[in-house]
Amino acid sequence: MRLYAVCVYLFLYIPIGVIALFSFNAGRHASQLQGFSTKWYGKALSNPFVMDALETSLIVAFTSALCASVFGTMAAVALQGIKGPIRAAFDLLIYVAVMIPGIVIGIATLIGLVTVFDQLNPLIAAIWPNGFTPPKLRMGMGSLIAAHTMFLMALVVIIVRARLAGMDRALTEASSDLYATPMATFRQVTLPIISPAILAGFLLSFTFSFDDFIIAFFVAGSETTLPIYVFSSIRRGVTPEINAIGTMVLVVSLLMLITAQLLLQRGGKKQNDSR
Amino acid sequence: MGACTPADSKTIAELRGVTKRFGDVLAASDLNLSIREGEFLSFLGPSGCGKTTALRMLAGFEAPTEGDVLLDGDVVNDLEAHHRPVNMVFQQYALFPHMTVAQNIGYGLRQRRPRLPKEQIADKVSKTLEVVQLGGFEDRKIWEMSGGQQQRVALARAIINEPKLLLLDEPMAALDRKLRKEMQIELQDLQRQLGITFVLVTHDQEEALSMSDRICIMRDGRIVQVGSPQELYDRPNSRYVADFVGTSNFFDGKVADQSGELTTVCLNNGLHVRGTPVGELISSGEVTISVRPEQMTLHRQGDGLAVEVRNRIFLGEHTEYLVNHEALGDFLVLSPRQSELTEGAFGVGDKAIVSWEDSAALVLDRN
Repeated sequence: MRLYAVCVYLFLYIPIGVIALFSFNAGRHASQLQGFSTKWYGKALSNPFVMDALETSLIVAFTSALCASVFGTMAAVALQGIKGPIRAAFDLLIYVAVMIPGIVIGIATLIGLVTVFDQLNPLIAAIWPNGFTPPKLRMGMGSLIAAHTMFLMALVVIIVRARLAGMDRALTEASSDLYATPMATFRQVTLPIISPAILAGFLLSFTFSFDDFIIAFFVAGSETTLPIYVFSSIRRGVTPEINAIGTMVLVVSLLMLITAQLLLQRGGKKQNDSR
Repeated sequence: MGACTPADSKTIAELRGVTKRFGDVLAASDLNLSIREGEFLSFLGPSGCGKTTALRMLAGFEAPTEGDVLLDGDVVNDLEAHHRPVNMVFQQYALFPHMTVAQNIGYGLRQRRPRLPKEQIADKVSKTLEVVQLGGFEDRKIWEMSGGQQQRVALARAIINEPKLLLLDEPMAALDRKLRKEMQIELQDLQRQLGITFVLVTHDQEEALSMSDRICIMRDGRIVQVGSPQELYDRPNSRYVADFVGTSNFFDGKVADQSGELTTVCLNNGLHVRGTPVGELISSGEVTISVRPEQMTLHRQGDGLAVEVRNRIFLGEHTEYLVNHEALGDFLVLSPRQSELTEGAFGVGDKAIVSWEDSAALVLDRN
């Protein structure tokens, strides 16, 4: 049994280890090690295509994580006040949203948006004043951010809900007992207490969006995110440069995940201590 | 304590025919109660008797299903908690974990509009901390404070606002026994010093008896009896109250003669006992006689119930005897040390005669 477990872990992590190892390869072939070098990192970071894709990925990840955190928190707080079958239905839908494979979200969003755009574009053109070129809705950065926000929101709702559920209801009652309006209570009591969860949700969302390939592949239009760039370059063969990009993405993602985990743990502990 | 709450003092809060339902559950039923300005009133009863619901309706966390809640003469049924000049000390204190002691205590003052100057708030906070004997603890974090200190912070956070009513929801439940005694005395001192009306919810009869001017005893969502601790002890209106406040011996029987000032009750063994009727007796005549153990005396001979001593516990100023009567079963007799010194103590197995004054026997509703 133990041997089996070791094999599973080796199978999972050896390829990742190999990528990290070969990213420091001095030679240009991915199959044989020829000494240590960081030149591929330099090369990757000076490649304008890589930097463009990185910029797109960062903008998309930051914006969609921010939107997901704001809307997800709002949804979580609102759901906290609802009881009964409506809440059960929403809970179910949220878990379903997290479980749905990326490819389904990708295709569905693509078809949905293209259909809507096809309906809207003639309308916009019709009401637009003569002499100006009407704007045309198309797949791109906007649709990418929208699609990511949608599926990340479910994630934020789940994280923030867990924190809200663990919060002593007497705290908000105490606040209103001390003359704070519902808005003031939210600002002064609820928000500070759930903020570690919101921040953790933001970091996780950022990571998920930054790493996402499948959904981005369908809805990015002409935009190229880093995972899409990596995918398209692999078709020309795996170079140490790709390994270097992969390793950097891996390190950044891991750091964010660890930070998120620490935030959730520390936040929870502090609250329990004060009981 | 009676001096600070004259009976004719003004009513500060009132429940008028208040009923509260949660779905099918009747949490409070037709509560009628006037709370007098400056008094220390306790709601006493077992868990689930509706005492916390009553408190939460005064605080504004729950609205009554029927009836009215009045504060200072105004109906406040639908006035939300943050508009009520009432503050609460929560069972688990509910201190804000992300704020310092001073920030917690100043919270109520910071919500005032127009805003109070910062210096004024800081000044009031440190004065209030002095009152609860936590001077200099302003910048401490909540989790650095012990349970007793946290309770004082919770108290300070409420009294700094000079509320019309201070509501306390089982505030001592989380403290150990010794600390609880200390806090009870402090709480009483504080109440006299501030003159704020205190409304306490507790299931601990000792706590209610020692601290309150008046106690409101509740059962199954209803008020059973309201009165001073002495009134409840001496003139309980039902077996439930007599049993809840202090210890008593109960003998079931039927009313045999109700013509005179005293009622004669035929006990289940055929024995006739006279007693003082309290409250309304139900028509079926099914009653119980209640006699406090300290109002019974043990003799070697004379009139009374012939019993056998089963157990003797020496308690210092008193001795507690468990005695057995052939037909009535076991009951308790509390004998003062002085009578033992003059008459000599009874040993286990001794035969004895138990007697009591007619006025000590209360004829009560059996429920």
